[in-house]
Amino acid sequence: MKAGPYAEIPRVDAYEKVRGRAIYGTDNNPAGLAHGAFATATIGKGRITAMDLSEAQAVEGVRLIVTHEETESLQPARFIMQHGFAFQSYSPVLTPHVAYRGQPVALVVADTLQAAIEAASHIRVSYEEEPFTPALDSEGADPVPQAEAATAWPIEDIAVGDAEAAYAAAAVKVDATYTMSTQHQNPMELIGTVAAWEGEHLTVYEGTQNAGACKFGLAEQLGIPAENITVISPYIGGGFGQKNTTQSQLVLAAFAARELGRPVKVVVPRRQIFHDSSFRPATRQRVRLSADSTGRFTAALYEIDAQTSMHDFFQSEHADTAARHYGYGAFRSFARLVPTDTPTPGYMRAPFEHATAFAIESTVDELAYELGMDPVQIRLLNDTKIDIVSGLPHSSRHISTCLRRGAEMFGWDRRTPEPRSMVAENGDLIGMGVAIGLYVGAGGPNRASIRATRNGAIEISLGVHEMGQGIRTAVANVVARHLNVAPESVTAILGDTRGVPQMLTAGSWGSASSIPAAEAACEALREALDALGTNAPEGASPAEILALADRDELSVNAATFAPGQNKEALGEIDTGHVAPTGPVYPDFVTYSYAAHFVEVRVEPTTRRIRVPRVVSMLDCGRVLSPRTARSQAISGVVWGIGGALREAGEVDERYGGILNADIAEYLVPVNADIGSIEVGFIDEPDPLVNRSGVKGLGEVVLVGVAPAITNAVYHATGIRARHLPVRIEDLI
Amino acid sequence: MQPISYARPASLASAIATLAEAGPGTRVLAGGTTLYDLMKLDVERPERIVDINGLEELAAIDTSGDELIFGALARMSDVSADARLTSAFPALSEALWKAASQQLRNMASLGGNLLQRTRCAYFRHGEPFACNKRTPGSGCAAIEGLNRGHALFGGSDACIATYPGDFAVALVAFDAQIDIAGPDGERSIPFAELHRQPGDDPSNDTTLLPGEIIVRIRVPADPVGRASTYHKIRDRESFAFAVVSAAAAIRLEAGVVTDARLALGGVATVPWRAREAEQSLISKALTPETARAAGELAFADAVTRQHNAFKVELGANVVRDALLIASGRA
Repeated sequence: MKAGPYAEIPRVDAYEKVRGRAIYGTDNNPAGLAHGAFATATIGKGRITAMDLSEAQAVEGVRLIVTHEETESLQPARFIMQHGFAFQSYSPVLTPHVAYRGQPVALVVADTLQAAIEAASHIRVSYEEEPFTPALDSEGADPVPQAEAATAWPIEDIAVGDAEAAYAAAAVKVDATYTMSTQHQNPMELIGTVAAWEGEHLTVYEGTQNAGACKFGLAEQLGIPAENITVISPYIGGGFGQKNTTQSQLVLAAFAARELGRPVKVVVPRRQIFHDSSFRPATRQRVRLSADSTGRFTAALYEIDAQTSMHDFFQSEHADTAARHYGYGAFRSFARLVPTDTPTPGYMRAPFEHATAFAIESTVDELAYELGMDPVQIRLLNDTKIDIVSGLPHSSRHISTCLRRGAEMFGWDRRTPEPRSMVAENGDLIGMGVAIGLYVGAGGPNRASIRATRNGAIEISLGVHEMGQGIRTAVANVVARHLNVAPESVTAILGDTRGVPQMLTAGSWGSASSIPAAEAACEALREALDALGTNAPEGASPAEILALADRDELSVNAATFAPGQNKEALGEIDTGHVAPTGPVYPDFVTYSYAAHFVEVRVEPTTRRIRVPRVVSMLDCGRVLSPRTARSQAISGVVWGIGGALREAGEVDERYGGILNADIAEYLVPVNADIGSIEVGFIDEPDPLVNRSGVKGLGEVVLVGVAPAITNAVYHATGIRARHLPVRIEDLI
Repeated sequence: MQPISYARPASLASAIATLAEAGPGTRVLAGGTTLYDLMKLDVERPERIVDINGLEELAAIDTSGDELIFGALARMSDVSADARLTSAFPALSEALWKAASQQLRNMASLGGNLLQRTRCAYFRHGEPFACNKRTPGSGCAAIEGLNRGHALFGGSDACIATYPGDFAVALVAFDAQIDIAGPDGERSIPFAELHRQPGDDPSNDTTLLPGEIIVRIRVPADPVGRASTYHKIRDRESFAFAVVSAAAAIRLEAGVVTDARLALGGVATVPWRAREAEQSLISKALTPETARAAGELAFADAVTRQHNAFKVELGANVVRDALLIASGRA
């Protein structure tokens, strides 16, 4: 078997996708399909006192209207962080309660989508209204210390050394507060479900990052055995954490289909997704960072207020990453959660790290200016081999190499340090900024089954989902290498509960949990082939060996788990739960790393910010599929540009909800916003975290892009942006 | 389901006759890029649609004579690419191609584009928001709300919704006329009289009478158009409405300004001509200082709200830059 870097292969499902042959969840149209549409709440909070359905029922083609009065047999969803399956514990339409504006209050099912939408607009709802608190900064939004927030996995504040004393005594210090608006994922594929019953058996087609949770969560809510449910999700049109658990429409679509005896499709429109799904919470972060006169960080004090909902504690893990950016002499964190009358926020791509990096990396930049030090040098000086929180060594931490190589690729040496010192021929102010990012190196259990046939086909089932990140291509590349076959001969069955148990694909652990299982399955298959005793020549393919043995096919199973885990972790994924672990393993700590270098141009009169050039150098362990990895990295930089300069949920506190709830008004970058993006990989396998040497990539790629941009804006203009997104008015 | 009757007349006369018979729930369909959008949002619930796409006589573009003549059904993309326009009136061409996306410009008609309704979120998104434009008498949620995108000029206590278009802003700078057909025949009005400020009746965006449609737009082929630009500042580089825009044109003789045109977009309830600022430039050299002073004058009477006050400073600079770009073409 070959070793070393993997070859670049094309995306294995590219042709299917560009020809429209990839069938996504709600592309399925079983015979007799009926269509659902939601009526939504127009108040910020309260209780439904009456519903007049008469006009809606009179619309031709309406077959069923589901309200809280019909759903008593359904169990409420349980929050994933309370060992449940849903993005929140609150279940719209299962209760007369209204928790936030825009939530569904009824599901109308009709012969056509048009009739369903029309009828939903005719449902008249009477409410008893209550006061509400719709945003992080709203009056009455009171922080709760996270240590007091009851959850299944409590998170403590971090204290390493006496950070307060070290900060007080320090020669050089910065004290700054950073804020961020809510952000909303907006995957191109809308959230939706097709539910079809055949007798007692339910088949669900849904774009989900977690087919296992859909299966087991739905079984719990419907009160039926999980084995009666199949969930099929071979492709996802973007998930970004918003499709990581069950959503409101799933149980209601299944319920309506059972009531009607017909398959039901519910696709949640964009505007409703803004109002009834998870999002990146708004945050307030205060960082106090001190250094000695040589630039060595003596202490960091990190405080965060993070938005959550009234019904769930969505825990803040911001401080855990903040503590790992550098080898601070001492570190202290204070995390508080701020309940608001909103859906429960959740794990939007780099859920904590994006915000944390904005605060930490901006403060580091400010401190570098205080010290008169180069921003790359101060980062190199404060790198560490040891995790200050656990005292354990890092299994691999190539951030200094990322900084050095990135700086060279970018041409950092051309930068003059003074703000406003670089001006383009047309008068634009040029700014150059740097920031690092890191993301937990998680791992987890996974099962694999693999089947080789005499005609050369390899079929592998893994507990992971293809959501555009390229896992199907990575699997093909890895299996091809390990079995000495062509990548085209490998078919991966993913996101399908008819295969092995499906674990949530999130947290950048998709590859790190499934690829080791794929390798183990290949190894087990090799051993089983050897046991056929064919004396096949070295390097013979499975098909050649099967031919020699006169066998049509051979199947084997395998299972792997992360360091420190045992077979109990498999029990979790076998029942639709999550069982990730890391970044702190028994003997080491693992993170992925990024160093981003950004050039901005700021027009002096209108203050328009443009980003013509980004260089990103990444340490994600072994790169399994160079082409899709590069695409991931570019997409993360684009996302970071949006996160820094474009995206914000706008809340009118008189009404609650999100005012700019469509992608015309909620701004994401367009092609014209994106210039040159160059990415590079260290491509050194992590020696400890798993047998494949692979760490996560999909999230770390965007961590640090935003502060690299705002640091560049400071270099260009002398204005320090401490709120995201940065817009024209912030620089005027 | 709400039934909609649909007619597709084959001639202008037939269209006018059809519209004359139709009631108040009638809407004219051209490119559909605004009407369908608002129907999906439930802001427009027409009972009757008169599709005028069969009226070929309204699709003509003629830029060869003393007047530039654009049929109301000419598509934005075709007009923006017209060779005479790009050389003799770059502001008009730029105002078109800096709007929307190529796909939308391929569909949208000029007449429909002029009649595009406001992007005010409180108008577009229905219950529970108060909006006098959508539901007369319900109030205006924007005045005390999130009004970053709302008007600094031409607002009233009833409405501060911004007119969102670009092409209209450029047209108003060039003294365009529009020809209107209705049950009483054709009439012509200065383009500046097409849109109306909200006053105490924000529900009515224009001075068009029931049953009337725009048939063509005429722009005097004035040489002032050559040194012109449409400078559009937005929150991203493409596919966004103006935060502030300025249509500017300059005529210079012997180093001083003899004619200046200036209109503002993204900041007013109607396409906004800044005549005082224009006058301030006459007989002066156009310099960064005089251009900036004109910009300050253009925004001198701005009525700002909680979230849009930055547009006074930004706007002065957008005007400055627009005038300098325009004069660079003189």
